[in-house]
Amino acid sequence: MNDNMIQDTLLVTPALLVSLLPLIGFLINGLFGKFLPKSVTGWIAALAILGSFICSVTLFNGLNSTSSLNIDIFNWIAFSNINITFGFLIDPLTITMLLVVTGIGFLIHLYSIGYMHDDEGYTRFFTYLNLFIFFMLLLVMGNNYLVMFIGWEGVGLCSYLLIGFWFKNESYNNAAKKAFVMNRVGDLGFLLGMFFMLFYFGSIDYSTVANQAQTLAPNSALLITITMLLFVGAMGKSAQLPLFTWLPDAMAGPTPVSALIHAATMVTAGIYMIVRSNILFSLAPTTLTFILIVGVATSVFAAVIGLLQNDIKKVLAYSTVSQLGLMFAALGLGAFSSGMFHVVTHAFFKALLFLGAGSVIHALHGEQDIRKMGGLGKYIKVTYITFLLASLAISGFPFLSGFFSKDEILAHAFEQNKTIWVILSISSFITAFYMFRLVFLTFFGNFRGTEETKKHIHESPITMTLPLIVLCILAVVGGLLGLPEVFHVQHVFSTYLSSVTEGSAQYLVHHEKVSHATEIALMSFAGIGAIVVILFAYNKYVKQNALPADEVELTGLNKVISNKFYVDEIYETVFVKPITVLSDLFLVLVDKLIIDLAVNATAWIVATTGKTMRLLQTGNTGFYVFAMIIGMMVLLIIRLFI
Amino acid sequence: MTTLLYTTCLGLFCMLAEVLNLRKLLIPAVILGLSAIFVVNMQQWGITTPASIGSVSLSHMVKMDNFAIAFSGLAIVISILIFVLAANYYKDDQNHISDYLSIMVFVLCGALVMFSYNNMAMLFLGIEILSISLYIMAGSRRFDTRSNESGMKYFLMGAFASGFLLFGIALIYGASGTFELEGITKYIAAGEVAPMFYLGVTLLLFAMLFKVSAVPFHFWSPDVYEGAPALITAFMSTLVKVAAFAALYRLFSHCLGGTMYYVEPLLIIVTGATIIVGNVTALSQINVKRILAYSGIAHAGYMLLGVLSSQTNAASSVFFYAAAYAIATVGLFALAIMTFKSNFSENVDAFNGLAKKNPVAAALISIFMLSLAGIPPFAGFLGKYYIFSEAIRNGYVTLTLFAVINSIIAVYYYLKVIIAMYSQPANDKPMVVHPTYMVVAIICAAATIGLTLVPDMLMQILK
Repeated sequence: MNDNMIQDTLLVTPALLVSLLPLIGFLINGLFGKFLPKSVTGWIAALAILGSFICSVTLFNGLNSTSSLNIDIFNWIAFSNINITFGFLIDPLTITMLLVVTGIGFLIHLYSIGYMHDDEGYTRFFTYLNLFIFFMLLLVMGNNYLVMFIGWEGVGLCSYLLIGFWFKNESYNNAAKKAFVMNRVGDLGFLLGMFFMLFYFGSIDYSTVANQAQTLAPNSALLITITMLLFVGAMGKSAQLPLFTWLPDAMAGPTPVSALIHAATMVTAGIYMIVRSNILFSLAPTTLTFILIVGVATSVFAAVIGLLQNDIKKVLAYSTVSQLGLMFAALGLGAFSSGMFHVVTHAFFKALLFLGAGSVIHALHGEQDIRKMGGLGKYIKVTYITFLLASLAISGFPFLSGFFSKDEILAHAFEQNKTIWVILSISSFITAFYMFRLVFLTFFGNFRGTEETKKHIHESPITMTLPLIVLCILAVVGGLLGLPEVFHVQHVFSTYLSSVTEGSAQYLVHHEKVSHATEIALMSFAGIGAIVVILFAYNKYVKQNALPADEVELTGLNKVISNKFYVDEIYETVFVKPITVLSDLFLVLVDKLIIDLAVNATAWIVATTGKTMRLLQTGNTGFYVFAMIIGMMVLLIIRLFI
Repeated sequence: MTTLLYTTCLGLFCMLAEVLNLRKLLIPAVILGLSAIFVVNMQQWGITTPASIGSVSLSHMVKMDNFAIAFSGLAIVISILIFVLAANYYKDDQNHISDYLSIMVFVLCGALVMFSYNNMAMLFLGIEILSISLYIMAGSRRFDTRSNESGMKYFLMGAFASGFLLFGIALIYGASGTFELEGITKYIAAGEVAPMFYLGVTLLLFAMLFKVSAVPFHFWSPDVYEGAPALITAFMSTLVKVAAFAALYRLFSHCLGGTMYYVEPLLIIVTGATIIVGNVTALSQINVKRILAYSGIAHAGYMLLGVLSSQTNAASSVFFYAAAYAIATVGLFALAIMTFKSNFSENVDAFNGLAKKNPVAAALISIFMLSLAGIPPFAGFLGKYYIFSEAIRNGYVTLTLFAVINSIIAVYYYLKVIIAMYSQPANDKPMVVHPTYMVVAIICAAATIGLTLVPDMLMQILK
């Protein structure tokens, strides 16, 4: 990659502006938001992101897919032999993420202007949102792991602030804390991974680390340790088993936040990190296998939980966890560009789904339970159509974006391991089922809420529907970026990313490519399967008008699933309670008895010495001069005779 | 050299302003002038041609190397900040404003000489220009007995120190036959060093230690700091301390490096004693100016670690430390003066409940206190980090450990003020806020945080 690095001075300004504009927006709204009219603050924030998006497009146009731009902004930290710069690396992978983050980010800002207009925390909301975008951009633009880590922590902070945005509600605050703590568990892995790299490679630059790693034997203990630790970080941020329970709870935040942070951008940071270190990971096949297992397990596990959720946002949250699992499965298979491709298409349709859900909630004045919806298709047409298309896309309906990106991952699975392929296919059929359960219960049939609510159902304002329409177009045609070879066209997306992922190709085990006939068969199977499942759901929820039962009435396995496999309760008993007991014990024994005593005794000695020494300061100049002379004499005597 | 010339002219201008009746415009003019001088000063960066006036070379007297330019820049910035504070501080004392300002500009002149001296005579001149101006300023509140006492004490004890300084220089001259730093270096390198020379070096060192208020030559500083007008205390604890340190560092890095082995045991004892006496005595103080005086003594001890490391180019570390310390202290004084004036008290309890009365000021004070205590992410932490790692590299491991332990003790008295602000009930005296103080404090806070974002920039300049 070094060979292709160019220093194109014309592109430095847009590259810096991309990250600076959201920061400026944040500073304006954060410092002077109080003095600005409410409506202005939202537009300042949105325009900052629009500017950022335009700069990203400039970068996209200016850099061809084989070049990269490395900008060292300043030398940041220099220890004995370690030198860390603060710099940006702009390459196709970064640009892909930039376009997604700023593009979808802008649409969601626009949407929020409508969605949040009655909220008393309007300005605060946009301040946080801009800060989030700034950190997310740092995360994807940094040229070493430390800059990425700043972004990583920053987005975690913003996520915390936004989940607990309505901080007067105690349970929302708890959800925010949970997200923060779980992410910290992952962050520890990331940090340790960086320390290992610093210690053994003496650098945390992407390129240096990749070069150093290639001098080691593949699958050596060091490489496995580093990659495992990094993956632990990714597990926390991207909500993989066993660190996924924070994401469904994170739905406590305002819906645009769920769309932006907890679906389209932040949670994909883990995938970005692994693709960024693809050479490192491909040198550690053991870790890749581990990632594959975790990804596949998460994908199925979350999909099953999704089957019995009744909160519109919770269903989408579990679906996000499941889709992230699918992306990790792709990475585990060594299909880095396929994983990224699904990140992009998923960002389109999942953001759309969340915004659509937001629009539904907006129309129903805060109602989130799908059992109290129904028949909304007639009242909110734009929301309905866009939501339906997004659901088709995520279910893998033929020729929509999700179809191609999922199919690509499934084809890779088929090449390498038929069992994995079967499990992933099942998971994707389950996805199709619960998504359409959601669609049918929400938009079809008759309205099941109160008459009072029914009277007030209204379509959302233009600032909210416009983003829906734009995202809908992307969700429908987004798949064209990655048409499979069967159609005799170039795979635009993987070609674009090839300069990033080609370095790892030599270290991956190569499997026989499936033949075109098989590939078409696979695609047909997936497509037809999805349609069948959708029809099945139609039969159940529209024809037969089935309604989800109350949680209390469920029995057996259904009850277990509806209670999310009791994971939260298990964590509570296994981790939280023992720690509380242990900390109580330590409080009494270690803290009170030993530490307090030692500390107080030391403090007493020091303080008494201080009081005594103070007496020397008599205020008498004669004494001072005398003390000075004595001091000099003593020092001279020491120097001369000792 | 031009820096010094222009600054002197500025001082003279201040005196003339009285005659020209320009008192109202004086402070803006001085700030503007100093800003211009700052630019001129920085333009000399990297230029190695010897200083001269016309055709007369001054290289035997002063040498504007990068070391001198960097410290001069810092000193000018500190002075500008102090002069901004002076605008409000002296608003009820307009009759003497031009005297005060001109004397303060002359203090800066003295400091500039102390940064760039290339000759023992210049060192003495610099110290005297600085000190004599300060004696006057410390006692400048004529009808306040404490101010008088402060000026008098400072003068009496300073006179002793000057005596040692001169005697030391005389002995050095007697042995080596030259005042010039390069000549003295050559004399040491030649190998046949007379015992008299060592005695001279030791006396010179004692005098310098007096100026930086190291133990056991520190007795003057708490009394003088407490009695002097708060603005002058701010000036003394920042600009003057930086100047004294730079001069001491320059002495060993540019001239007396060869005698380091001889004075090393003395310096180690003094450093250790300074650190512990400063920190421990500060614990039981209740007057904030006295706390800061002892904190200043402790910081002098940390900076002495830098002097001990002067043979391995620790200039950057000392510079970073001095900058972090001085900037945090200026900011702290800006807000402390405001608090003192509002409460008519200079004790810690004047800060009680400040967080409720003025949360911004309280937050800023906390930043400065934490930076001085050396807690990340503020500049003071990195300063300590650099100084300590420099000392460890030179093998002073035990001494550094001792310093680290003491810096933990220091947290106590810095937190004392923060605790007063945040957990004590507020008194009923309103906080009178004046924008100039807040502006200075905000600039200093921004710098205190900003320095940690780009530490390497400052660390590279003196490499």
